[in-house]
Amino acid sequence: MMERALERLIESAAQLLLLLALAPLVTGVIRTLKARLQSRRGPGILQPYRDLRKLFGKGMVIPETTSWIFSATPWVVFFSTILAGLMIPMVAADAPLGLFGGVLAVIYLLGLGRFFLALAGLDSGSSFGGLGSSREMTISALAEPAMMLAIFTVAIGAGSTGLTEIAGAAIGQTWRFLAPAQMFAFAALALVLIAETGRIPVDNQDTHLELTMIHEAMILEFSGPYLALLEWAASIKQLVLMTLLINCFWPFGLQPTWFGFGALQGVAWLLAKLLFLSCAIVLIESVNAKMRLFRVPELLAVAFTLGSLALVSTFLF
Amino acid sequence: MQLGDRIVTLMAALVLVLQIAMVAQRWISIHIRIFAAQSFFLAAIAATIAWFNHAPHIFVAAVLTIVVKVILVPVIFERLIERMKIHEEIEPLLNVPISLVISGGLTLVGYVIAESFYRPEEPGLGHNALAVAISLFLIGFFNMINRRKALTQVLALLSLENGLFLAAISLTYGMPLIVELGVFFDVLVAAMVLGILIYRIRETFASMDVSRLRKLRG
Repeated sequence: MMERALERLIESAAQLLLLLALAPLVTGVIRTLKARLQSRRGPGILQPYRDLRKLFGKGMVIPETTSWIFSATPWVVFFSTILAGLMIPMVAADAPLGLFGGVLAVIYLLGLGRFFLALAGLDSGSSFGGLGSSREMTISALAEPAMMLAIFTVAIGAGSTGLTEIAGAAIGQTWRFLAPAQMFAFAALALVLIAETGRIPVDNQDTHLELTMIHEAMILEFSGPYLALLEWAASIKQLVLMTLLINCFWPFGLQPTWFGFGALQGVAWLLAKLLFLSCAIVLIESVNAKMRLFRVPELLAVAFTLGSLALVSTFLF
Repeated sequence: MQLGDRIVTLMAALVLVLQIAMVAQRWISIHIRIFAAQSFFLAAIAATIAWFNHAPHIFVAAVLTIVVKVILVPVIFERLIERMKIHEEIEPLLNVPISLVISGGLTLVGYVIAESFYRPEEPGLGHNALAVAISLFLIGFFNMINRRKALTQVLALLSLENGLFLAAISLTYGMPLIVELGVFFDVLVAAMVLGILIYRIRETFASMDVSRLRKLRG
């Protein structure tokens, strides 16, 4: 019993390190690839780390009009995202904190972070913050059902909403993702991934143009270490969603447990799949123009329809 | 058989996704390309069925699909668009999210209808394809009702015809070749005639909006 608890502790620590260390790297790789595709040199893949270090070393300005929510938000967002990250399978199918809850807990932990972020956007009293919060909530209210439907499709196949069980069922069924239900669900989740991580057809991470920004508008008033926490949390959230997509649908190389030589292999596979997904995201971002805000619901309606088709076709095919 | 069934099911799912993409699409030129892609996957289904059932005459149907629906019809329509200088967006009667939800519902109806044709003792190749075919058919109809412009209605009609073709090959493993030839010739002629008709409508009424066709003109 004690031994199992110790193992859990080691697993959690390893996954925590992996999340914290890998998340800025993924952001950096995506930025660099995107720059190369546009014939720019780009800042290099380590730039997000340098940004974080610089931001943590800076002073902070907290608007006088804000309440405790403003100061609490970076912590809530950061820790809820990390907790969600520990509840998903990354290297091994066995999620370190999987026993605390399944995929619904992950979705709602991310939702908690988003809720506080939206509150903080409103809290500063600036019009941009409120605008960003309103847009973020509009988009997430549409993205969340689509995500749920897609995940439920996978969950039905595994007979459980626990992510450990879902990933465990996926191991060994390498070509399962070619089934129509899986493909619909994958497409739905990929669209949700783009919407939730603020990628180009929906939002643009690199802009501070007031008309178009969504996520950036909410965190406009944050500076210094708080901004660093929020940026870090955003890249961890991106990593969490990408890993969720990868491990539910492309289970190649996913290990049954964390221990032994397999873990290294698992990490290598994870990195390879993340790189592949990053390339896909870069391509999507580069060939699309940003959508008008009122067109975004249409994209998410596509995701919702695909998700419901996926759910229907698991029963009928 | 197992592998063939899987490939057909996969392709049929892609065809269905493209049909739903057509409902959501706002630009006519992309709409035409989606139709071409859908027809291409249809040809691939036909070829797969031909290969696994050793029915060489379905290969002819597959090749004809590629020639007529993937190459000729899109080219005819692209030229028509160029000649008429259409740049405006498609305006559906219902907004896109509602249209998508309705198409999802129609797909469900398609599956429910196809279930009654399914006989487990006789597992044919691609009985799933029948469900997709019926869905294509229903969504094609819906798309025709939902569009204002004549050109997009014709495209919806052609995607509906894709559904018929899919139903035909998945149920009967191909009609006699002479019937197939007739059907493809029909589609080609329909595309050309409807193209001319659309052009005339545009010339006479200065619009492709069929809701303006209210008065008789001598």
